[in-house]
Amino acid sequence: MQKNPLGILLGAAVMLMPFAASAAVSLPKTVEVDRGEVEPVCNENNPEWRLAQTVDGVNIQESLRCSPDNPSAIAAQVKGTNNISMETLMDTYYAADGIIKKNDMDGDGDPDLIIIKLEVAELNGHSPDFNGLVPTFDIAPGVQPGMWVFAPKSRGMATNSFVGTDANPLLRAPSPVIRVEQGDTIWIQLENTHYFPHTIHLHGVDHPWVDSSGEGNDGVPQTSDKFVLPGQSKTYEIRPRVAGSFVYHCHVQTHVHLAMGLVGMFVVEENRPNNWVQTFNVGAGQVRHPSKAILEDYDSEYDLHYHAMDKELHSIIQESNDPRLIAKKMNREYDMTDSTEDYHTLNGRSFPYTLRESIIVAEPDKNIKLRMFNSSGETLAMHTHGHKGTITHYDGVEHNPVAQITRDVYDLAPAQRNDLKINTTDDGFHSYGEGAWIFHDHREKGITTNGMNPGGNVSALVYKKYLNEVGLPKTIGESIMPLFTKKFQDRKLPVWQNIDDWNSLGEIDADGYVAPPASKMAAADVTPGSADIQVPEDNSFRNLIFGLFLGLCAYLLVVNRTKLSAMISSVKGGS
Amino acid sequence: MIKHLSIAAFALALSAPVLAEKEFEDHTQMMNHGDGHLMDMTGGMVMGQNTDVLPGGCDSLAATKEITVHAGHKYAEKFPGRMFAFDVQEYQFEPCTKLTVNFINDDSVRHQWMMHGLPKYLYPKGMFHLEVTGPGKVTGTLIFPPGDKTYLVHCDIAQHMEKGMKGQLKIGKGNGDLPSIPGVTAYVIQDDYSDKTDSESISDTVVEEIAEITDKVVGNDSFFSGLTIIGLAIGLIIAPLLARKFKDMSAGEIVTYLFDLVKQAIDMAMKLISWLIGLVKKN
Repeated sequence: MQKNPLGILLGAAVMLMPFAASAAVSLPKTVEVDRGEVEPVCNENNPEWRLAQTVDGVNIQESLRCSPDNPSAIAAQVKGTNNISMETLMDTYYAADGIIKKNDMDGDGDPDLIIIKLEVAELNGHSPDFNGLVPTFDIAPGVQPGMWVFAPKSRGMATNSFVGTDANPLLRAPSPVIRVEQGDTIWIQLENTHYFPHTIHLHGVDHPWVDSSGEGNDGVPQTSDKFVLPGQSKTYEIRPRVAGSFVYHCHVQTHVHLAMGLVGMFVVEENRPNNWVQTFNVGAGQVRHPSKAILEDYDSEYDLHYHAMDKELHSIIQESNDPRLIAKKMNREYDMTDSTEDYHTLNGRSFPYTLRESIIVAEPDKNIKLRMFNSSGETLAMHTHGHKGTITHYDGVEHNPVAQITRDVYDLAPAQRNDLKINTTDDGFHSYGEGAWIFHDHREKGITTNGMNPGGNVSALVYKKYLNEVGLPKTIGESIMPLFTKKFQDRKLPVWQNIDDWNSLGEIDADGYVAPPASKMAAADVTPGSADIQVPEDNSFRNLIFGLFLGLCAYLLVVNRTKLSAMISSVKGGS
Repeated sequence: MIKHLSIAAFALALSAPVLAEKEFEDHTQMMNHGDGHLMDMTGGMVMGQNTDVLPGGCDSLAATKEITVHAGHKYAEKFPGRMFAFDVQEYQFEPCTKLTVNFINDDSVRHQWMMHGLPKYLYPKGMFHLEVTGPGKVTGTLIFPPGDKTYLVHCDIAQHMEKGMKGQLKIGKGNGDLPSIPGVTAYVIQDDYSDKTDSESISDTVVEEIAEITDKVVGNDSFFSGLTIIGLAIGLIIAPLLARKFKDMSAGEIVTYLFDLVKQAIDMAMKLISWLIGLVKKN
């Protein structure tokens, strides 16, 4: 028999441990999260398309971005699908009757009757056959909101190939920029290939309220127009007398149809002789065949279409197949007044994909024309790093040249357009010199994708000197590679993983970790005003009695140590 | 003068009858681009045409057949919840049959009758494809290979197959049925028609937030506080006194003693209350 009062006391102390401050105070360890598949920053999309070239007599400007437009498609957009070689046409996805240009009625060397066909395509839609989306269009790695777009009339399959589900290049966000010449006769034929009714309203574009046959021409079902039903077509007829940056959009259930993506830029270029304008700028961005009037004052031209999406709205078409069910959910259950915008895009994509398609390439001492358009639900505050731009036009109307404003934040209300002149003269005012300067929304949510930063509508104005061989900015900051993963977009990757040798801001591995009791009694955080939610419980009496009980127990243990150790020994001996 | 002429030309162009209902067009003058690809400039197209080459394994043509297929919104009427359809959903032919398809589109947009999975040495990309912008008709011919197989026929325009424009063509006995064919087979992924509301409602979020704030306000709920220490000290001090009091008593006796104490306390309280009642009565 062994007397060990100290052991008993220590044992008792151990038993009381959970109630006392602990000596085990280390925090959970850091782990490195596997990034999963990392996409190449530039997907090397036909680098030969980047060169300045002439296709079927159409001069096409150099486009140094990573993912350039197809020169054959540009030739079709400039000359019409009826005036190019069969070889060029077959190198595109255009339907043979997609863009018809004819009738040089004034004999100035360019066609004056332009027939433009538009279909309606659903991107990232539902399939009743498999658990996936069709046809897919990623706005960022793995980010696929359901969208509707107006699309140039194409031929063949909706997808790019037989094996994948990615949409063919004509089926993409945003709805294509339409470019016409002032004074031309334009027939816009809407072929409604979608399962809901739609119309086209030409916002800001000079158009008669009724067409030559007396039918509605304004696209508004409540006043002038019948719905263009699924499978039906309708021609809108215009001869715009005034040039400028305008808009076209669906006017059926406009609140949701516009937000779903049925909205695009409509540019009327000033009339000039022999002026073949690029009828579509698919995916917006650089205009590789600018009009005569633009080239008089500018070296290059870019269309910048900003949009935003509420993921709740954009998932409706992915959850059901029955059009009646989709209509019910979208028109009656979805309440736009409760909505929040989660995805912020520039030309249909979010950062970092914007770097592939929507960078502005600059050289010193040049003038660049930017046409900015906001189709989101909130006012944007676009900011250019390194440059102060001059707003030359508001909503397509030239501002008095003497009163034009030069600034570095350009506010754009919903549906508004600003035409901007970027002068790259390094004078400390218009430009601060060469670099890879970003431009972005300065509402901070605009630079997130579903709340993850960096994302959203960020892109960059990059001087050639700072452009690498695949058309990406030569950045000297942190690597953007982790952004090209689904893990990052899915919020699974710590934003600052491996910023230093020992990954001090890495992921916490708290698996199996039990926090020790706090070592300090923090006073209840009672802030005025919130106290009325629930009065803090008074534990004083309970704790006093508990202490008393512990004290008595301790005394009994000490007094009866002999008996207890005898008892423990007998138990031990008996075993 | 030129100006006046051009205005006249504009007026003429605007009054042209192109805006009237488009007339039905039979696309019979398509240009042959080789490899079975025929196309015209008004939206008619055939790909994978084969009128004369026998597929391997066929000694001769088993039959020569001709069908007419209609496509359009109106054919979805008999299938609620669909938006586009062919007039017929199922076809069956013998192996090595030469089939001519007259594809009539009754809508005013593009539709397709596209078939995949044919032998690639005869049909580029293994595909036979008819496409026409309606209202109009396009005609194409192919020869089926031997063997029992079920071919998918569909319109590949975004969401047209998903919303009903889908059928199956069995050669011989076929090799099973395809899903989601209107009136024939069910969806793989069914729609949810229940009238449930979203579980993550705003009121739920508010409740969660209140719970969070409450936790903060109530703060430390542990048994251990400054008062516990005071209790512990008192316990240690009075323990020897109690020990002396209860010395030589058995556990039962201690309990009895404690009960006695409580009884005395209650008696005192009762006495106090009755005294108070007496006071009230007197007044």
